[in-house]
Amino acid sequence: MNTETLDKLDSYSKNKYKYGFVTDIDSDKPKKGLNEETIKFISTKKNEPEWMLDWRLNSFSKWKKIKEPKWSNLNFPKIDYQDIYYYSAPKGFEKKPKDLSEVDPKLIETYNKLGIPLEEQKVLAGVAVDVVFDSVSVATTYKGQLEKLGIIFCSISEAIQKHPELVKKYLGSVIPPGDHSFSALNSAVFTDGSFVYIPENVKCPMELSTYFRINSENTGQFERTLIIADKGSYVSYLEGCTAPKRDENQLHAANVELIALEDAEIKYSTVQNWYPGDEEGKGGIYNFVTKRGLCAGNNSKISWTQVETGSAITWKYPSCILKGDNSIGEFYSVAITNNYQQADTGTKMTHIGKNTKSKIISKGISLGKSQNTYRGEVSFLRKADKARNYTQCDSLLVGNKCGAHTVPYIESKNNSAVIEHEASTSKINEDQLYYCRQRGLSHEEAVSLIVNGFCKQVLQELPMEFAVEAQKLVSISLEGSVG
Amino acid sequence: MNIQEIYQKNKKNIFFSENKDIQIHREKLINVFITDRFDKKSNESLKNINLKNFFDFKYKYLLPEETSVINNNQDSSYSIVSVNGQCASFKDDKIEITKISDKDYNDFSKNNTIEKNDHFVNLNSLFLNSGFKIIIKKNNNIKIKISNIVTDDDLTIFQKNNFICEEGSSLSLIEEYENKNNSTSNILNVIKLEKKSSLNHFLIQDNSSNHNLVITSHSSCKKESFYNQRVYNFSDGYVRNFHFSELLEINSEADLQGIFFLKDNNTSNNKTFVKHFAEDCKSNQVYKGILKDRAKATYFSNTHVDQVAQKTEGYQLSKGILLSDNASYFSKPELKIYADDVKCSHGSTIGPIDENAIFYLRSRGMSKNAATKILISSFINEELSSIDDEQMSELIQKKLIRYLSKVK
Repeated sequence: MNTETLDKLDSYSKNKYKYGFVTDIDSDKPKKGLNEETIKFISTKKNEPEWMLDWRLNSFSKWKKIKEPKWSNLNFPKIDYQDIYYYSAPKGFEKKPKDLSEVDPKLIETYNKLGIPLEEQKVLAGVAVDVVFDSVSVATTYKGQLEKLGIIFCSISEAIQKHPELVKKYLGSVIPPGDHSFSALNSAVFTDGSFVYIPENVKCPMELSTYFRINSENTGQFERTLIIADKGSYVSYLEGCTAPKRDENQLHAANVELIALEDAEIKYSTVQNWYPGDEEGKGGIYNFVTKRGLCAGNNSKISWTQVETGSAITWKYPSCILKGDNSIGEFYSVAITNNYQQADTGTKMTHIGKNTKSKIISKGISLGKSQNTYRGEVSFLRKADKARNYTQCDSLLVGNKCGAHTVPYIESKNNSAVIEHEASTSKINEDQLYYCRQRGLSHEEAVSLIVNGFCKQVLQELPMEFAVEAQKLVSISLEGSVG
Repeated sequence: MNIQEIYQKNKKNIFFSENKDIQIHREKLINVFITDRFDKKSNESLKNINLKNFFDFKYKYLLPEETSVINNNQDSSYSIVSVNGQCASFKDDKIEITKISDKDYNDFSKNNTIEKNDHFVNLNSLFLNSGFKIIIKKNNNIKIKISNIVTDDDLTIFQKNNFICEEGSSLSLIEEYENKNNSTSNILNVIKLEKKSSLNHFLIQDNSSNHNLVITSHSSCKKESFYNQRVYNFSDGYVRNFHFSELLEINSEADLQGIFFLKDNNTSNNKTFVKHFAEDCKSNQVYKGILKDRAKATYFSNTHVDQVAQKTEGYQLSKGILLSDNASYFSKPELKIYADDVKCSHGSTIGPIDENAIFYLRSRGMSKNAATKILISSFINEELSSIDDEQMSELIQKKLIRYLSKVK
């Protein structure tokens, strides 16, 4: 690479985080620290029934026994669980506002800055938004229309009150609280999140979407999302995140559970752009997310799409358990790391049923001094006759101080199953750059074109509403070099 | 009996147990064994292994009665018969063979940076009871064939061999392991390639089901040297092939390839690991396996590219064919890359024999069995046809036919 290119890359990698602002709203917090008292506080605040409190306390006792997983390729100081607030809700939200005019105008302003279509735009965009602002749902839109179809789309706390039979049946059925340290932690202290239930043979007419936002200092966000798609139903769910600029590390340990029954399909898309820390690697969000989907019924399908550009630490493996015969699991991912960001992300496809299929497309781009790891597991169990997997993971390196790693685990115990895995690592192709520049594109445009092409396979999987935002985030992370 | 007790009891028979330096080193190793309880879950290199066979054993070693034979054949090739890991000393103007010395031992234990926690290598260092060192002198072109023979039942052989190719030399080394007795060999090859040297290393493994073989090799390549390794595993007994390669200087190259044929209850663990520490180096790691009955295999491959190792080319390929419902194959092709101007890739496939290809052959009047055999042969044809040595090619063909005769 010539010096001009290097200079440019240098200036791009210095790009500041644009969404770094803090809204001043009084927060209602319990004392710092994780103990039974905190859990009881959260439970009382949320008016939860007793079985829920028991479930939380049970998870907490499990958490105390489990050590943090160590196998990831990440470096970070030990998390002090006693130095975190586990609950924070904007004041005056105990009685929910009936419409947006009752909501704190500062909040609305925050969303407007982010371009979230909560006011007029929501009608135009046709998106039902369930906004989580520091743990409590602020407003839920489009409820009426969804109710007509029998779709339940609400916060998980509301679901615990109104639909305890569904929550009891499915909560923790895909990610048991004792699965690992972060799932136990989340089960003990989760504050809010979304709950979706699609009844039999209903195709959800719109993309359901939730914006999570971390706002209060030192508040770990522990969302719990539960999506159940009953027989023959379809739902597409969007999750997007941006967080204000902070100096101290914030812990985030969400759990997302998906259950697809017979012939059902769930599409789950994420755009994650939390504060990644500054150029020296100070601050930033620690993102330890557990996402798991269960294709419980025959012919069911779960598809994960993610664009990961933020967070100082990303530890995330959206996975699929393909239990039903003919079920399908998909995973599309773009992960971009800059400065001192570290990402260890990938997926896990467990083939149990016959004729199950899975597809993994992962694209990693490392810049600056970041480390980007793909870690994935594909396993065919003994009864997974004629199962099929295709995996492709490509890495792109920009600069010689970053690292790109690929760690796939592949296991087959069935002789009619076929696994294919491909991976490549390279820098931006000089020939392609030359070709583009020769045709009059600036260096910037050329790099943009190439990186866009590199990610296209994944970005095109995103729903229309999200694709624009995703492209915006990619360009912020790579600004200049992408366009 | 634990490792410490076994060691104390047999101290007399173990190499260099008088040397203070080595004593201290060994005590450290014993400590690792005592504190580390071989947690199978967290140590994937121990997958599918019956730990009892290797870490709770009866130590037995016999100095061979028949001495080893070194022949300087007419066609300027050497044939060596190493008995129980021992080899007589020999010297002419081209090569030099000596016993392994405490200096060699220390050399390895101090410079072993690739993998410190390899339990089998540590075991080898602890109980070392045999081994030799071969030096190929400058600018010589030599062919050596080594037959490794174990004389008695229940022997535990811990052997360390050093191969040093001096500047500009080139060596073609064929090692044969064909043993039928109930014993265990744990062999570590330390290979050093000096400037512009090259080594073609063939390992033919064909042991009976009661013979366990653990082979580990550590090779390091200097400027413009080339290490080429081919492993052919036809064993009925357990085989562990772990091969590490370091590319230390510019323009060096390592090519680690292997094929294995497993049947019955047999297991095999394979690993290749190439570390790139210099610019313009190339590496290639290819393993292919055919598994039938209840056979199990693992293959870990790893390419590590250091920050300074620009213009690296590193490729990995792993292919497995499962012929039965009860066979299992685990592969983990890993890339760790810290430099940006590299071309690295890996591919991995596991599956049955292509049904369409079988259909094609059957529609031309072939039986299913014959079609399967043809497709297996073609699966590994590339590896077989690349063998230059006619004699060896024939030998491997024979072994392949033997394996295929059992395929139904």
